[in-house]
Parts: sequence; C-alpha cells; structure tokens
Amino acid sequence: MASVSTSCLRFQPLLWQSNNTCQAAQRTSLKLVSVSWAKSGFPSLRATRFRVSCAANPLTMQKVCDIVRKQLVLSPETQLTPETKFSELGADSLDTVEIVMGLEEEFDINVEEESSQNITTVKDAADLIDKLVQKKAEAGA
Amino acid sequence: MKMRCCFQRSFCSASSSLVPVQLPSPMETHFWYVLPDQVKSVSLLNQYMGLLSPIEKENVLSMPGHQLQKRALLARALVRTTIARYQINGHVDPRSLKFKKNIHGKPEVVWQSEDGWCQPHLHFNISHSSSMIACGVTSNSRIGIDVEEKQRKIKNNILAFARRYFSLHEIEYLSSISDSEVQHQEFIKLWTLKEAYVKALGKGFSAAPFKTFTIHVKTDYKRSFVLAEDLLFEASEIMVESLNDPKSLTSSWQFALLELVGSHYAAICMEKDKSIKVGMKVPVRLTAWKTIPFVEDECVSGTDAVIPIGGLIKL
Repeated sequence: MASVSTSCLRFQPLLWQSNNTCQAAQRTSLKLVSVSWAKSGFPSLRATRFRVSCAANPLTMQKVCDIVRKQLVLSPETQLTPETKFSELGADSLDTVEIVMGLEEEFDINVEEESSQNITTVKDAADLIDKLVQKKAEAGA
Repeated sequence: MKMRCCFQRSFCSASSSLVPVQLPSPMETHFWYVLPDQVKSVSLLNQYMGLLSPIEKENVLSMPGHQLQKRALLARALVRTTIARYQINGHVDPRSLKFKKNIHGKPEVVWQSEDGWCQPHLHFNISHSSSMIACGVTSNSRIGIDVEEKQRKIKNNILAFARRYFSLHEIEYLSSISDSEVQHQEFIKLWTLKEAYVKALGKGFSAAPFKTFTIHVKTDYKRSFVLAEDLLFEASEIMVESLNDPKSLTSSWQFALLELVGSHYAAICMEKDKSIKVGMKVPVRLTAWKTIPFVEDECVSGTDAVIPIGGLIKL
C-alpha cells in the first residue's frame, strides 16, 4: 500500500491564487444537478458546482465508494464524486459510523473517533484512509 | 384538532393556518413529528418549498432522488413551522425565521426583534429516519432528540460495533442478551439515547465521543399510574455517566425513551431545570403531536402512538 500512496496526485495550493487559472482548473470535478418537481410546474433548478479536486488515490476512492454504496443501499444511478457529502446521500450519523467501521475492516486501520466524526465527504474518508495506511506502512506494521 | 386549508397558492398566507401553541413549561418537552409517507400532495410540498431560505432550497435539491429531497424538505418545513407556532404577539411567518449554527455546529434560531418577536428561551432539536421526521422543543433547557426505526438493519455485527464505539458497561449489557432480536432492539435504544445526549450537549461529537460516557438504564420497576389528569409512566431510570469523571453521575440531564407508532424508538434528552435539586426525581412532561403542517395536527400523547418505554415521563 505504501507504493500506492506515493503515486497520489496532489494539486498545488497555488492554483487558488489566480482566478483565471482557477476557473479552468476547477473543471476537474463537475457536478450538474437538474431537478424538477414532476406535474407541479415547479421551476427546475440547476446547481452547477466547480471544485478543485485534490485527487486521492483512485483505488482508495473506488473502495470507499463501494462501501458507501453498500451501506446506504444507493441505486446504481446515484452519482458519487469526491465532494459528495454522506449527509447528501441520506446518511445519518449511524450510517456514517457504520461506513467508518466498514472502511476500517477493509483497509485494516483504526480511525480515531474524533477523526471519524470529521469525515463528511467521500474525499475526507479516502484522504484519511490513505494517511492512516501510509502511517501504518511507515511504522512497519 | 383538524383543519383543512384551501390551497390557492397565491392567497394562502403561510402562518395563518398554523395553530399557535403555548411555550412548553419547565421540564416539559413538545415533540412534533411528521410521517413523510403521509405527505403526498405536490402543491403542499411546493408550499413547504416556499418557506425555505435559498440555501435550504439548494440543499434540498442537491439530494439525489425524490425521496431524499422530500425528506430534507419536510425536515426544514417541520422546523420552521413548528417554531413559528410559538408566537406571543401576532403571527410569525415561518419564512422569516433565520437559523445559524453555534460554534460547534448545532443549529439554532437567530432571534430577531424586527417584528417585536423575541423568544430566545426556545430550544429545539431535530432528527429523522427514512420514515419519520421529528422536532423536539423546550423552553430554557437544552434538548437533543434522536429517532430510529426499530427494524433498522445494522450492517456490522452488533457486538463488534458496540466494542468499537460503546462503553464497557454498555458492551457488557448488550453481550448479556442472548436473543438476537432483543439485542438488536436494545442496541437501537442505546444508540438513540447516546445520540440524544450528544445532540443535547450541542458541543459536537468530539466533545463527547460515544466511548467516553455510559447510559445506565435501571429497570427495577415498571409501572404506570394515573395522577389526577396526568398519566405518569415510570418505566425505568435512565442516567448518563461521564467516564472522564466517574465520581459524578451527570445528573443535570433527563431522558425519555418512547416507542412511536409501533415502528420507531425516540430518545429525548433534556437539561433538568436549574431549580430542581440534585437527586430529586422529576418526570419529563411530554406532549406529542403528529402533524402535517398547514393541514392537520393531532395530539397523540396518551394514545398508542406514543408509548413510554424508558425514563420518568408524564403525559
């Protein structure tokens, strides 16, 4: 797992400094939501979000998504991005805790309770896992 | 208390069809819940949408899927309409309420005196499962509530989960239950009580990680009897003990555990009134309503819909 984490891509913070380059770079993660209340004539709203995505290990991300999908019983159409918040998927605190437990088992790590409650997005989970896995590898476990 | 409101959207004034309610008295909790499956009218849902702030609307619409959006919408509508009922002078438009989060992230009302309405002692807390959304209200007392479906599936092994997250005493308690269904039920009850406590504290989960406190349930006695017009339930004594300070039983918190509409457990944790001496046993007064805001409110405390199963509760 140590070699996996060193291949992790990291966007440099300087991308935030220039607005122009930000706009272009921010298209790495795009979320389009188009919704309308059927039969009601309620206006449809499109929420478009541009985010710079610090790309966590894609394999970690995939496993996190699988565990999240399983815990929350998501339909295959439900889109999961790194920025997706668990709460936005209908996860309550018990779901989040169960997800963390599932991740601990999958990656053989131990998440501090304080850290686990800071995990709000898929990316938070993946980042924390990568960090813990790397720490474990460095400790020679 | 049934009212039918005529839905001509352009003419219907939101606040005029909310039945006003007196503030809860000390040691009293008002518990309001809505069952999403009973809210089907699209025009009603649109009316609720009209109550929300722009950010709330965006949050609702960012949920994936109609069911989750409806749930998020009903949660915000329930909070706004519930708080708007506790008006002292004139009507309060649920739309006008502003919310903020305290420094730990607990939602609170921003009390503003533009229309002369100020009710800073009103506390609330909200919780939802997939089939119920609830809001608890108190005066002058911090409150936390949690509702869970009794049959909610736990993906992990219950004891493994408990060993990971619960305190030693609680693990021992759950381990001692041989019937897996009963164990599951007791697990859910414990979870709701612990959640309600942390939410009542309002300091965020890192202030009270689940392993650092124990919920004690003393079920030596279970009786109910009628005291004048009130129904008093003494199902059990529920107390919380902070493991960081084992000498003090954190006795400023009072708990109530309910079974709702046969399908849910609901835990309420509220701060004891300051006037109550340490060690005095004072029941939590509970009034519960099933509501479809603007459509109907049904007082259900004292019916089969609300069954006290833990704590000292007066209906």
